[in-house]
Amino acid sequence: MRALTLGRVALADYLVGIDVGGTFTDFVSYNSETRAVDVWKILSTPHDPNEGILGGLGRFEAPSDIRNIRLGTTVATNAILERKGAKVAYVTTEGFRDIPFIQRGNRRSHYDITWIKPKPLVKRRNCYEVNERIMSDGTVHVPLDEDGVRAIAQQIREEGSIDAVAVNFLFSYVTPDHERRAKEILEEELPDIPISISYDVLPKWKEYERASTTIADAYVKPVVNNQVANLRERFKESGITDQAVVIKSNGGEMTLEAAQRTPIQMTVSGPTGGVIAGKHVAKLSGISHLVTLDMGGTSTDTSTIVGGQENFTTDYEVEFGVPIQIPMIDIRTIGAGGGSIAWIDKGGMLRVGPESAGANPGPACYGTGGERPAVTDANLLLGRINPENFLGGEMALDLQAAERAIASVAGPLGRTAEETALAIVQIANNNMVGALRSVLIERGLDPRDFALLAFGGAGPLHAADLMNDAGIPSGVIPNYPGQFSAFGFILTDARVDVQRTVQMTSKRFDQARASEVMHALIETGIAELKAQGYVKNIEIYRSLEMRYLGQNYELEIPVAFDSFTDETTPKVWQAFHDMHLARFGFNIPREVIEVITVKATVVSLTEKPDLATIGKADGEPEVVSTRSVVFDDGRHETPIYDRAQLRDGHAITGPAVIEEPVSVTVLRPGQPMKVDQYGNLLIGRIAEES
Amino acid sequence: MTQKPDVDMVAMSIIDSTMTAVCREMGIVLMKTSYSTIFNEALDFTCALASPQGEMIAQAEYCPSMIGGVPLLVRSCVKEIPLETLEPGDVICHNDPYRGGLHCPEHTLIKPVFVDDELMGFAMTIGHLQEIGGMVPGAFAGEATEIFHEGIRVPPVKIKSRGEDVEEVWKLLLANVRTPRYNYGDLRALIAGVDVGERGLAKLIRKYGKDTFRRNVLDLMDYSESRMRAEIGAIEDGVYRFQDQVEDDGIESKPYDIKVAVHVQGDEVVIDYSGTSPQALGPINATLGVSYSAAYNGILQVTDETIPKNSGCFRPIRVVSPPGTLLNVDYPGPEVGGNTETHCKIAGAVIGALAPALPDRTMAAEGATHTNFVFGGTDEESGEAFVCYAIELSGWGGRSFADGNDATDSINGNCRVVPVEVFETRFPFRTESYILVQDSGGAGLNRGGLSTQRTLKSLNTEIMGSQMSDRHRNRPWGLHGGQPGGLAGTWHQQANTTTWHMIDEAFGKASPSKWSNVRIRPGDSIRFQTPGGGGWGDPRQRSREQVIEDVAEGYISPTSARENYGLDGAAEAAE
Repeated sequence: MRALTLGRVALADYLVGIDVGGTFTDFVSYNSETRAVDVWKILSTPHDPNEGILGGLGRFEAPSDIRNIRLGTTVATNAILERKGAKVAYVTTEGFRDIPFIQRGNRRSHYDITWIKPKPLVKRRNCYEVNERIMSDGTVHVPLDEDGVRAIAQQIREEGSIDAVAVNFLFSYVTPDHERRAKEILEEELPDIPISISYDVLPKWKEYERASTTIADAYVKPVVNNQVANLRERFKESGITDQAVVIKSNGGEMTLEAAQRTPIQMTVSGPTGGVIAGKHVAKLSGISHLVTLDMGGTSTDTSTIVGGQENFTTDYEVEFGVPIQIPMIDIRTIGAGGGSIAWIDKGGMLRVGPESAGANPGPACYGTGGERPAVTDANLLLGRINPENFLGGEMALDLQAAERAIASVAGPLGRTAEETALAIVQIANNNMVGALRSVLIERGLDPRDFALLAFGGAGPLHAADLMNDAGIPSGVIPNYPGQFSAFGFILTDARVDVQRTVQMTSKRFDQARASEVMHALIETGIAELKAQGYVKNIEIYRSLEMRYLGQNYELEIPVAFDSFTDETTPKVWQAFHDMHLARFGFNIPREVIEVITVKATVVSLTEKPDLATIGKADGEPEVVSTRSVVFDDGRHETPIYDRAQLRDGHAITGPAVIEEPVSVTVLRPGQPMKVDQYGNLLIGRIAEES
Repeated sequence: MTQKPDVDMVAMSIIDSTMTAVCREMGIVLMKTSYSTIFNEALDFTCALASPQGEMIAQAEYCPSMIGGVPLLVRSCVKEIPLETLEPGDVICHNDPYRGGLHCPEHTLIKPVFVDDELMGFAMTIGHLQEIGGMVPGAFAGEATEIFHEGIRVPPVKIKSRGEDVEEVWKLLLANVRTPRYNYGDLRALIAGVDVGERGLAKLIRKYGKDTFRRNVLDLMDYSESRMRAEIGAIEDGVYRFQDQVEDDGIESKPYDIKVAVHVQGDEVVIDYSGTSPQALGPINATLGVSYSAAYNGILQVTDETIPKNSGCFRPIRVVSPPGTLLNVDYPGPEVGGNTETHCKIAGAVIGALAPALPDRTMAAEGATHTNFVFGGTDEESGEAFVCYAIELSGWGGRSFADGNDATDSINGNCRVVPVEVFETRFPFRTESYILVQDSGGAGLNRGGLSTQRTLKSLNTEIMGSQMSDRHRNRPWGLHGGQPGGLAGTWHQQANTTTWHMIDEAFGKASPSKWSNVRIRPGDSIRFQTPGGGGWGDPRQRSREQVIEDVAEGYISPTSARENYGLDGAAEAAE
């Protein structure tokens, strides 16, 4: 099915996923008539990302054939990282305008007095204070000074160049009335300036984290607004559907209008696609626990799917000290990828990364000016990558340049080039094993219960070694590993996460109030989806965030009911004690439990593509060639296979190399692999069991 | 630099990063399960792995003040609990400053790591318990004159034996503190941390085999040693001197000198504290563990931060600290502030001494105090005692290439300030304001960082408060012509009045910065200001654009722009 190309198909009806990345914009289309999936990529156009999107969609001869577009974009993140957002005014409680500047006071590294503290996304001269005060129990100590808010609006108007306003009052997560009223007044007074209030963005305690997130929302709003408005305009001009949605950091989709209202929700948009796609593959393959590994050129993302569900977090910093705490799929990123550079430190120790050759100059073997050895150069030297068949043969690799680069570190290390290349790959793998451990063991998850789903250009190349090093028994290499995130976008659902801080304890738990809050949250979620046009196939998930009275971090406990009763409530306490034991190795059975947050997630399931199967194998898979490849235990003459020729039921035992246009899968000696009916490569235990 | 031919640099690198990852995992369990805000919000704890000989083989970066204490801690523990009596599942608890500890609040939990019945190392967690008994709630008794005033001393004892709680030890520990429920939770968190460390280290050793592991760990320490020697070797030989002061000891109104002579010779350094004042009556003394840690900290701050942190780093560094002095206190002198107030001044003096040799790696004085404010009372509703240990941020010193950071923790900690919303949810105060202090950064070509000021109003409960701070009389020093940073201060305002009084005047205390058991009544207010950082270089050389921007942002006043930076007229124009 991979070989199918897009022709002019009558009555075509396409679903298109687009992932706008730093280097490439990836496209995946699904034709609901023929069930054909097609993938392509074009160079991104950072000066105007919409140009690349439109360019890629130019592949459709009849734009009206596109039924639905789902877009993952880094526009919000880039605006923050490059400090190219809006001029923001910050409005807060009297006495607290310095919270964004004071921050939390810790530093990135202990023993580095050269560290420079990050600056917030707002100037201090544009921070304003309002006389108002809410207490920790939600009572009003000082009523909102409405005239004061109007006076601030006047100052902002006079300032003349403010693009967006962020409002954050102390304890607004308990009582949002003051923030909401301030928003009304500011909207009246400043009709052309978008207003973000912290209760809408992050209704949770800790004023600095909330300030930082709310300011970031205001900071990216005009940029996102412009891009989205421009995109809608250009879609209209080109006769492309208005059924376009943006992927949120929580992996759900939202309409373009919703994205303009809360742009901060799309901070980690792109990488979520891989997790959503992974979840789908896991479901089709009957895998319950999956750890995903998206290894690209400069970084590697890892995440988990446990019991068929992705994990979520609000603990995220866009850079050290700049938290953005929105609900998002828990994806951890480390600075290790195919472009990571190997170097010798002052003590003679071989290190790999975090510096990356990136796309420019690129690894030495790209022949584009890179002279220092990258992980890709090491893989080439070990025979794992075919210099003739990189990116489907579009780019010939320069083996000699790779050898020269590796020799530059092999000399000081006193090792042969081959030993050095192997060491570079081993160290890079160990860095990634650290990332895998951090998403698993930190949560008390046992790697032995998991399958590794590896994608990204370099993921399949390292999967077999990583399974071995991390003690993960099974591996899956999905179809389209190079465009897997975009593939995930054609599988997304609409998803709204809502939460409210309640602060009750197990000793005095107001069941009626908790039930009321839960019902209200679910209604809010459903209403929000409805407003975006999602009314079908609604699923609801509920949870409570709890901790022992005195602790400061919560565990999220799923609950299966809306109403808290004498029968259901005790089960919640028991579930907390059980999860504390499982996660941290101990619990305190008689301790009082504090309920901090009630959460509800409302999902509208969308129709999923009905993926075609690839047809049964007929005989043994064809060996297209052989070459010498270096593994941990030495050199092996290794058979090479073409992935496009593999069929359902084909089984191969390593050593072996399986090539496809954007990636290479390597099997270690003795490692079994089997192809499933969709064309996924199943490695290790899962291959033996299937 | 050449390496030993038989060293497997690849395996060593992998073992090093895996051990560091294990230490980080330990830290996350501590943060997520502990009860005290100083623990889970401020992150005042450390996680480390040690060899059976007590050498630190890996650590995760949480709180730097504790790093030098690790070897002393293990050695003092095994002196009293012989190695051969240790069994799998044992956990030792210890806090005694006169047995290798740093100060009483810091509790160390040590778990032996066995592989096939052979002792292969130790997992260690060190955490600050906010309440440990003694004469004031929260341990920082500014007027203590004996270690016994500062809280319960715990010599090395097994708190768990073969996996089971030793009930008698728990009872004794919890009967001597004001907040047993909190201490129980924090100790459980520390134990969960060493459990994670033990499992992680044992797994690593099994993977590589005991011999390979042992050899690589020795190589790793040699490697760190050689890296450190290369760093020291790059500093020009010589004797570099510096001195600072602790302004008083809470008992008598007189300063105490810290004298540092840094002898750099080839690839070794000797840090000699001779000439330092005799030990103080009050709790500003440092134990030998603190003085070691501070010397190591100072050197680590000015050398390559990528050197793996293990005992090998410390081999080329020697410390001379005569007994009976401020920097090597004799039993039973009080010393709770030595770890927070004196450590940073020692480390700062080492950095200051090296400023002529390392102009691009040093900085002017930072605030060098944690402004420790501890208080306790009884919760009206539940009747349960509460205790809080709150720290404040101060300004960092200016550097050759940048201004000092505003509002940052002192270099012997890496603590986070507790959010106002967490603080008020837990404790009966209302925060009236929390601000950066204009003009508190010492003027300079690169100015010092700004300090903070927090104003609290007591709500409905009578509170007993104490403080351990410094730099209320001595301003943080500037470098290379930079001006000193702003002074700290603590003020009190009685309920229903509008006048602020210095705390020492209001309550008849000997010291404005170190005092015990002040009664804060409902409606009373208290205000804490921290010191600003010293400036670096001549302020008149600072670019006019930067000065105008600082005025526009309110970091400096037009007056200071005129008088200290020589900006004429333009400052007003910029407003």
